Amino acid sequence: MRLVALYAIATVIALALETTIPLWLPIGVLTPNLILILAVDLGMKHHRALGALLAFAMGYAIDSFSGTHLGLNAFMLTLTYMIGYGLSRYLISTSSAIGVIVVFVGATISGLANSVSSAGLQSSSGALAMLPRLAASAGISALLAPWVFALMGAAKRAVGLRMRPVRE
Amino acid sequence: MLRGTFLWRHRVMLTSGILMLLALHMLSAGLAPGARAEKPSLALLWMLKPVQSIEANVADDTTGFVHDYFDLVNVRQENLVLKEQVSELEGQRTRLAELEAENRHLSDLLELREVLAMQAVAARVIGADATGLSRTLILSEGSSDGLRRDMAVISTAGVVGKLIAVAPNASRVLLINDHNSGLDAFDQRGRSRGIVTGLLDGGLTMKYVDRTEDVKSGDSVVTSGMDGIFPRGLLVGQVTRVSQEGPGLFLNIDIHPATDFRKLEQVLILTRKPPQLAPDIKG
Repeated sequence: MRLVALYAIATVIALALETTIPLWLPIGVLTPNLILILAVDLGMKHHRALGALLAFAMGYAIDSFSGTHLGLNAFMLTLTYMIGYGLSRYLISTSSAIGVIVVFVGATISGLANSVSSAGLQSSSGALAMLPRLAASAGISALLAPWVFALMGAAKRAVGLRMRPVRE
Repeated sequence: MLRGTFLWRHRVMLTSGILMLLALHMLSAGLAPGARAEKPSLALLWMLKPVQSIEANVADDTTGFVHDYFDLVNVRQENLVLKEQVSELEGQRTRLAELEAENRHLSDLLELREVLAMQAVAARVIGADATGLSRTLILSEGSSDGLRRDMAVISTAGVVGKLIAVAPNASRVLLINDHNSGLDAFDQRGRSRGIVTGLLDGGLTMKYVDRTEDVKSGDSVVTSGMDGIFPRGLLVGQVTRVSQEGPGLFLNIDIHPATDFRKLEQVLILTRKPPQLAPDIKG
């Protein structure tokens, strides 16, 4: 329950930041994907079916505030959760460095999927042309990831949540 | 009972897989207006609105504060005695300038509403697209103010977009420069009709205009009123480039949008749809 509450609050804060920061700063596509960082944190550190459900819900929340395709970000965040889960489970590590790499890869794939879905298959070459900008955005997300991980770690300690993943 | 079984050992992967299939189903099915799967999304929009409004207010205050601060530093260097007075005056000036700008904007919108002679609701822009990859904005008004899906959103500069999601106290508008947007428009000089849609780079293009049509750079493009959403004659933008590259049947027409979407603060939502053309009589 505490896990759900913590990630729900973090998602609301991240969504509020993601939707209002572009109003003050003209960063456009470079907006960091903070919720994806939360999904990676979940995947790396919480090996329960509830984690997958939370990642799906966080993606659905992004879909409510972005684009026209309901389900796209829900899919991408669940996929990112799975990548984070798989890597931490089979590498037996929850290191931030791995998390940063997963955030970078996840943000790039997610951005590309959003662009292709927005542009349609006919303009997928146009979406590919956006790859450098998407990679820059993913880079910003990756740079912010260690801070978000640390913040979530501190919040989890504060509410008494276990930090290490449960080995199955 | 399930412990130790295949299902239990792989429950995380299986749950993720099922959820991904569910997401794919939502994605492929699309959503009709008012669909059940859209309801939680509207509830989220409703829930987050107060947070966004507070953040938008804080942002306004912070911008004013930062301006005041820099002004204050300059004044202190020139004359320490006048610091307090100048600070106070600058604070007032910033607030007054902000109020004046808002007042001017609202007056313009009011004038526009009178010119259009249509019922309309003014709304404030309180949020942008969460990913920055789609072109949508979040507005401060919702269904409790009479807003409905597919209503036209305009500004004093021209067409902005149409509502795609409406919660009780907030709504989302799909901008005309999003690739999924499309509006019926025509070249005001040459009278050539086409569909204006968004490009990935934020610009606009006009599709399905025959190569024989007379369209020139600098022409104004306005709404035709044929799509049943936007009233006829609203400015969409200006033609910046016309070419015949490629093997297609149609012209490639680039349009610079009349509205600067990044600077939008207030918009007008037309609450009554323009009169529809009578359907063709069959037989």
